Amino acid sequence: MQISFYPGCSLEGMANDYGHSITAVFDRLGIEAVELEDWSCCGSTAAHSLSEMMALILPARNLAAAEKVGLDLVTPCANCFNRLSYSQKMIQKRLFDVPWEVKGDGKVHDMTRFLAQPEMIARIGQKVARPLKGLKVVCYYGCQTVRSPRITGYSDFENPQTLDMLAAAAGAEVIDWSFKSTCCGASIGIARKDIQESLTRRIYQKALQAGAEAIVVSCPLCQVNLDVIQKDATGQRAPVFYFTELLRLAFEGGGVRKWFRAHLTDPVPLLTEKGLL
Amino acid sequence: MSGTHCKKERKLIGDRGDYFLNRIQGETGENISACYQCERCTNACPVAHYMDIKPHQVIRHIQMGWREDLMASSTIWICLSCEMCTTYCPNEVGVAETINHLRNMAAHSSITPKEKHLAVFHETFLKELQRFGRVNEFWLMNAFNLKPGILKEKIASGLLTEEILLGLTLWKKGRLHLLPRRSKAIREIKEVYRRQRGGIV
Repeated sequence: MQISFYPGCSLEGMANDYGHSITAVFDRLGIEAVELEDWSCCGSTAAHSLSEMMALILPARNLAAAEKVGLDLVTPCANCFNRLSYSQKMIQKRLFDVPWEVKGDGKVHDMTRFLAQPEMIARIGQKVARPLKGLKVVCYYGCQTVRSPRITGYSDFENPQTLDMLAAAAGAEVIDWSFKSTCCGASIGIARKDIQESLTRRIYQKALQAGAEAIVVSCPLCQVNLDVIQKDATGQRAPVFYFTELLRLAFEGGGVRKWFRAHLTDPVPLLTEKGLL
Repeated sequence: MSGTHCKKERKLIGDRGDYFLNRIQGETGENISACYQCERCTNACPVAHYMDIKPHQVIRHIQMGWREDLMASSTIWICLSCEMCTTYCPNEVGVAETINHLRNMAAHSSITPKEKHLAVFHETFLKELQRFGRVNEFWLMNAFNLKPGILKEKIASGLLTEEILLGLTLWKKGRLHLLPRRSKAIREIKEVYRRQRGGIV
């Protein structure tokens, strides 16, 4: 099976461990992810904040590139997915002139939903050789993958399930909680640290209150925020995993310590204690 | 409506009153008139308590034509675009999209943004995107800090030291790439910038 892959800028920097784990998971699942050769930034928050037109055009260029390849487009980054979907919706409604040839009929998947399709879950189930028994996790989706529903197409936006299904498929014990899609503050911390810290800290504390030992995320920025907030935390910490890291761990066990080096909250002690490394 | 706006009247001429309401409705495609001030957006908003004009008040301000207050508010910059308000509005008013549109208008006006750092950060991001076609966190933060006034304020508040230490930790962890990667489509990106924004950011 072949798909087009749009990594997004984070996967080249802050979230390079996410990138490595995605490659490993796709490889084990027999999915050939072809990176869009000339992909460019989707514009993120800055583009739509300052110029709504740029926020449509920048993702449209990537959509055009994906249509040339002709495969479904999968992106692991929450905001990239949101911006690409948004741009595509506007192209379909013909609400702006696209400088490139785009029909807007290609499929754009967010990676969690792509892997949570029934046949993919089944495939993952077959591959899991070392289920993550006894690892209590909460799944944190962040905003951009699920909202707004008219762009993302999520019908269960209040209680999304894709990450829960994937973490459960990896054998983890998934705890239900209320903060699945509460905003973590995103990049506002660069200018207003107080706001971002208050929002992120609440999520981290609520995760602990729910009885979680670790948090599972799919968004690079959520991971950074939740990881950094625990830097000076006293008391219990909750390592923040990308869901692909857990999947890979459940497929074959150990050999992934090098990814965990990138985490500020070291997950190795927890995983060792559970006998999962 | 509470606070200082109690005695203000609806503005009726020029870029105000119905004109401003109609303009926003036309430009965003949102039905602003449908708002009946149930405050569900404000209750859903995770950062409403940091805003000077709350989300439901923003909609009311538009209906009343109080444009300058909106342009000078912190609200338009604080908004995270997390889409809670839009999602929960019973009348399907796109509150987040509307606030974003106001932010666009403010960015193209001569009004000094109330949250200067946020505005400058967005601007820096777009400039970095124009340079490489992709955005590298390390270069982005450096470019942002070198913008007029930012470094001085950060040194004074002690934020810079904190940031450098965090940056160092992240670099040791292998999460910062010191060399930016360029998109192969950089010429197309530059062309788009030239046509859309006259080459300037």
